[in-house]
Amino acid sequence: MHSSSIALWYASRATGVVCLVLTTTVVLLGLLVSRQRRLPGLPRFGVVHLHRYLSLLAVGFVSVHILTAVVDSYVSISVAAAIIPFVSSYKPLWLGLGAVSLDLMAALIVTSLVRARIGRKTWRVVHWVAYAAWPVAVVHSIGTGPDLRHGPLLWLSVSSVLAVIAAIAWRVAGSLGSGARLVPELLATHERIEAARR
Amino acid sequence: MLYAMKPIDNGPGADIAARSRGRARVRAVAVSATAASVLATAGIAIALPGITTTQASTTTTQGSNHHATSHTPNSSSGTSKLKSPSSAPASSSGAPQVSSGGS
Repeated sequence: MHSSSIALWYASRATGVVCLVLTTTVVLLGLLVSRQRRLPGLPRFGVVHLHRYLSLLAVGFVSVHILTAVVDSYVSISVAAAIIPFVSSYKPLWLGLGAVSLDLMAALIVTSLVRARIGRKTWRVVHWVAYAAWPVAVVHSIGTGPDLRHGPLLWLSVSSVLAVIAAIAWRVAGSLGSGARLVPELLATHERIEAARR
Repeated sequence: MLYAMKPIDNGPGADIAARSRGRARVRAVAVSATAASVLATAGIAIALPGITTTQASTTTTQGSNHHATSHTPNSSSGTSKLKSPSSAPASSSGAPQVSSGGS
C-alpha cells in the first residue's frame, strides 16, 4: 500500500467530515434567508451571499471527497457508483445514499444556476429538495464509516443534527406565527367589506 | 454652529459606502470560512483514528499486512473490496526461523 493511497483515503474521510459541517451551515443559512433574518455584523444581503458562497465551497469539498474516494486504491469505488445510487459493490446502501445526496445537490445547483430561465416558482419547489439532500447525506456519512460515531466527531454529528432540527422548528414556528397573524387580519378585512356592502 | 456637527454625508454616497463595507465584511467571512475548511480538513485527517499507527507501520515495517488492519476500521466489516498487500507478509518468513531455532 502506497503512502499516497493512504493520504487519499484520509483526505476523502476528512473532506467528508468538513462537507457535513459546510452543508449544515448552508442549510442553517438557507433557513435564515427564508425568514429574511440577518447575521450580527453583516448586512441583510450578506446572509444570501454567504449562503451562495458556502454552497459553492461545499460543492468543491464534495467534489474532492468523491474524487479522492474514487482515485484511492484502498477501496474500489467506481465513478458510476458515486453518481448512480446503489450500484456500488462496497457498502451499496451507504454509498448509494451518498450518490442520492449528490444527485439531489446537483439538481439544486443546476436549478440555481438557471434560476432566471426556469422561474422563481419552479426553482423554489426544487429547492425544497435541500431538506431531503441534507439528511440523506448525514445518514450516508454516519453509515459509511465509524468516524462520526465515536469521540469528538460524534458530538459534531449530533450537534449538527440538533442545530438543523432546531432551525427547522424555528422556521416552521415563524411560518405558523405569520399565518396566525394573517388569519385575524383577513377576517377583519372580510368584515369591513361585508359592512360596506350593507 | 450646531449644524456643523451633524453628519454631512447622508445621501446616496453613504449608502454606497455602507454597502461596500458590508461586501468587504462578507468577503472576509467567506475567506475565513474557506481557510478554516482547508485547515479543518488537514487537522481532521491527522486526528482521524488509525493515522498514527498507519504512519508508524508504514515507516517501521516493510511488507507487513498491518495496513489492512490499522488503515481504517471500515475493513473490519469484511464487505469491502480491499486489495491484498502487494508484498509478501513478513510473518510467514518469520515463522520458520522460530521453528528452526526451537529444534
